[in-house]
Amino acid sequence: MKWKQLMFIGFIVLLTLGLVACSDNSGKGDGGESKASGDGEVTLKLAALESAYGSEMWQNIIDDYEASHENVTIELTIEKNLEEVIRPNMQAGDYPDVLLLATGREEGLTETMIKEDGLENISDVLDMQVPGEDVTVKEKMLDGFADTLATNPYGDGDMYMAPMFYSPSGLFYNSNLMDEKGWDVPETWNEMWKLGDKTSDADVSLFTYPISGYFDTLASSMLFASGGPDFFQKVMTYEEGIWETKEAERVLNTIKELGNYTHPNTVANANPKDFTKNQQLILDNEALFMPNGTWVVGEMEEAPRADSFEWGMTAVPAFEDGQGDRYAFTFFEQMWIPTQAENKEAAKEFIAYMYSDEAANTFLEAGAVQPIKGMTDKLEGQKKKFYSIYDEGVLPAMGTFASTNPVPGANISEALYGNIDNVISGEMSVSKWQKELQKVSDKLRPEMK
Amino acid sequence: MSKKKSRALFIFICISPAILLFTVFMVVPTIEVFRMSLYRWGGLSGSKQFVGFDNFKILWNDTDFIQSFQNSVLLIVLVAIITLFFAVFFAAILTRENIMGNNMFRIVFYIPNILSIVVIAGIFSAVYDPEDGLLNSIFGLLSLDSWEQMWLGNHDIVIYSVAGALVWQAIGYYMVMYMSSMASVPASFYEAASLEGAGKIKQFTAITLPLIWNNIRTTLAFYIISTINLSFLLVKAMTGGGPGGTTEVFLSYMYKQAYGNSTYGYGMAIGVVVFTFSFLLAAIISRITKRDVLEY
Repeated sequence: MKWKQLMFIGFIVLLTLGLVACSDNSGKGDGGESKASGDGEVTLKLAALESAYGSEMWQNIIDDYEASHENVTIELTIEKNLEEVIRPNMQAGDYPDVLLLATGREEGLTETMIKEDGLENISDVLDMQVPGEDVTVKEKMLDGFADTLATNPYGDGDMYMAPMFYSPSGLFYNSNLMDEKGWDVPETWNEMWKLGDKTSDADVSLFTYPISGYFDTLASSMLFASGGPDFFQKVMTYEEGIWETKEAERVLNTIKELGNYTHPNTVANANPKDFTKNQQLILDNEALFMPNGTWVVGEMEEAPRADSFEWGMTAVPAFEDGQGDRYAFTFFEQMWIPTQAENKEAAKEFIAYMYSDEAANTFLEAGAVQPIKGMTDKLEGQKKKFYSIYDEGVLPAMGTFASTNPVPGANISEALYGNIDNVISGEMSVSKWQKELQKVSDKLRPEMK
Repeated sequence: MSKKKSRALFIFICISPAILLFTVFMVVPTIEVFRMSLYRWGGLSGSKQFVGFDNFKILWNDTDFIQSFQNSVLLIVLVAIITLFFAVFFAAILTRENIMGNNMFRIVFYIPNILSIVVIAGIFSAVYDPEDGLLNSIFGLLSLDSWEQMWLGNHDIVIYSVAGALVWQAIGYYMVMYMSSMASVPASFYEAASLEGAGKIKQFTAITLPLIWNNIRTTLAFYIISTINLSFLLVKAMTGGGPGGTTEVFLSYMYKQAYGNSTYGYGMAIGVVVFTFSFLLAAIISRITKRDVLEY
C-alpha cells in the first residue's frame, strides 16, 4: 500500500516538474534567441508569407545574403498561414526582425501593427546604399512607390513599409475569344455596356469576379478614373461627405450596373471555397471579364480551358468617352520592421538588399517582380505584356485606406467590398450602400492617425 | 495523522493537478476574456485603453452583430430540432426493428461525424454547386427546374444550406447516443405493451421517449455548444460569412472584429456575450425540460 502511495506521489511530482520544465523552456526561448553577441554576430529573424512564388526563392536569397554578410545568420519562418504562426509569439513579446506580410489579408495582422504604432520608421532605408552597389535604394526604386498610403500609412511622408513584388491588376479575359468573335476591348464604360449586349447574344456573360475582395483593385482604379488622384486621396482619408459626391456615386452606380451583366453563378461561388469556379468561367468562355492580378495565370495553370485560350489583361475603362483617364491598380506586398525587433539596423540593411540586382534576379526567377527601375526590360513573354500595360497611356493607381485607431464595428473594407455581393445580386440599393459607406467613413475620420 | 485527515490529504493531492490545470487553462482565460472586453485594444501592443462597458454599448447598436446573432440562434434552433427528430427516429428504427443491413446503416450514419469539417465543407460545396451540383442535377433530372437554386448564392436560402450541412454531420453522433440508451430499455416492457394492444407509435411515446428523456436533455446542451462551434468552422471553410454577411455567425463575426478589424477588446466583448448566451440558454433548456427520472 505504502509503495503504491509513494509511486503516486512520485508521479505527481514528475508531472509538476514536467510542466515547470516546459514553461521554463519557452521562457528561455522568448528572451534568449537572436541576441547580437559581442563579436558582431547577428541572427536576423525573417518571417515571410509563403505565396504563389514559393519558398525556394527565400532560401536562395538567404544563401546569397549570408555569403556577402558573413556576420549575419538568417532564421527564416515561412508559412502560408504566417499570422497564425507568429501571432502567439508576438503576443508573448518574441517579434521577428523583419516581415514580408502585406496589408489586405483576412487576419489583418499588418493593419493591427499599423494601428497600434507597431511599425518602425524606415524612411532612412531610402537613402541607404544598396549592398554591393553604388546607388541608393531611392535611386533604384520605381517612382511613386514610396509615397502612397500603402507605404506611408499615416500620410506624414514617413515610410513604414517597403514596397515589394509589384503586379499590375486589371480586367482579365480570353483574348482569343475576343478576336474570334470580332469584339473590341472596351476603353470606356459605354463601350463596355454595348459589348455586354453583344456578349449576351452569344451566351457569354460580360463579367464575373472571384470573391468580392477582388474589387479592391477594381474599385480603386475606378475611383482614380472617376475623380483623379486628389479625389482618391480624399476617399482614402475619409473626407466628409465624400461618398455622396457625384464622382463616388458614379463608381457605385457602375458596380451596380455590372451586376446586370454578371454571370448568374458568380455570387454563389464567391466564397473562399469556390472562387476558382468563378475564375474557371473565364477559362470556359462562359464569362468575359474578371478583376484579378497577374498571379491568376499561375494559379489557374493546371485548370482545363477552352481551345486556344490566351490570357489578356486590360486597364479599367474610362468614364468619359474619348478623354477620360484609364487606370490599372498596382498591387504590391510590403516588408516592414516591428518596433519591438531586436536587430533593426541589420533588418534595414536586409531591406536595402531587397533592391539589389542580385536579389531582384533571384525573385524574378520565381516570378516575383521587384519595383526597380529597368526591371520590366528583363521580363519575357506574357509577363512582359502584362507589365507593359502602363506603356500605352494607362496610369498607375496605388494606395489604400488611411490607417486609424482600431474602431469597433467599423471596417471600411467590409463596408465597401463586403457589400458587393449584396449590390450585385440586387439585395442592396446604391443609396443604402452609399449611406453605409458614409456612416463608416464618419466613424473613422476622427480616429485617423 | 487521523484516518480522516489523511484521507482528506490524499484526495487533495489527487485532485490538485486537475484543479491546477483547470484553473490555469480554463478559469484564468475566461476571466481574462471578461477583463479584456473592457479595454480598447488592438491585440498586440501594450497600449490598452480602459473604456468600461463602451464595447458592449457599441455592440448593442451594431447591426452586423445583431444579424450574426440572429443567424446563430436560427442555426441552433433549426439544427437542434431537425437533428433531434431524425436522430431519435433512426435510432428507434435501428434498435427496435430488425432491418436488413442494420449494422451497415449505423456505420453509414456515423461516418459524417468522423469527417473533418473542412471535408464536409468540400462535400457540400459540391452538393450545392449551381451548375453540376448534386441537388440541382437531381432536380434537373426530375424536370423540377423551378426547384433549382443558387444554394450558396441566394440570400434567403443560404443559411438553410449551412443548416443542412450541420444536420447531416450531426445526425449519426446523436443517433448513436440515443441508440445506446434505447438498447438498455428492457424488451419485456415492449412485449407487455404489445400484449396490451399498444401500437409501435404508442410504444415509442409511452415507453421509449420517457425512458431516454434524461439522455435527450443532456444532448440538448450538446446541440447548443456544438452548433455554436461547428457553425463557425463550417462558415469559415465554406461560405466565408457571405454572400454579404448572410451566413455570418457570432463567432465568425467575433473573429473578424478581433483580428481583421484589429479590435481585440471588442471581439472579447462579443466573446462575453456568446459565453453568457450559451450558458443561459443551456440552463434555461435544462430547467424547462426537467422531469422526474423514471426508474426501470
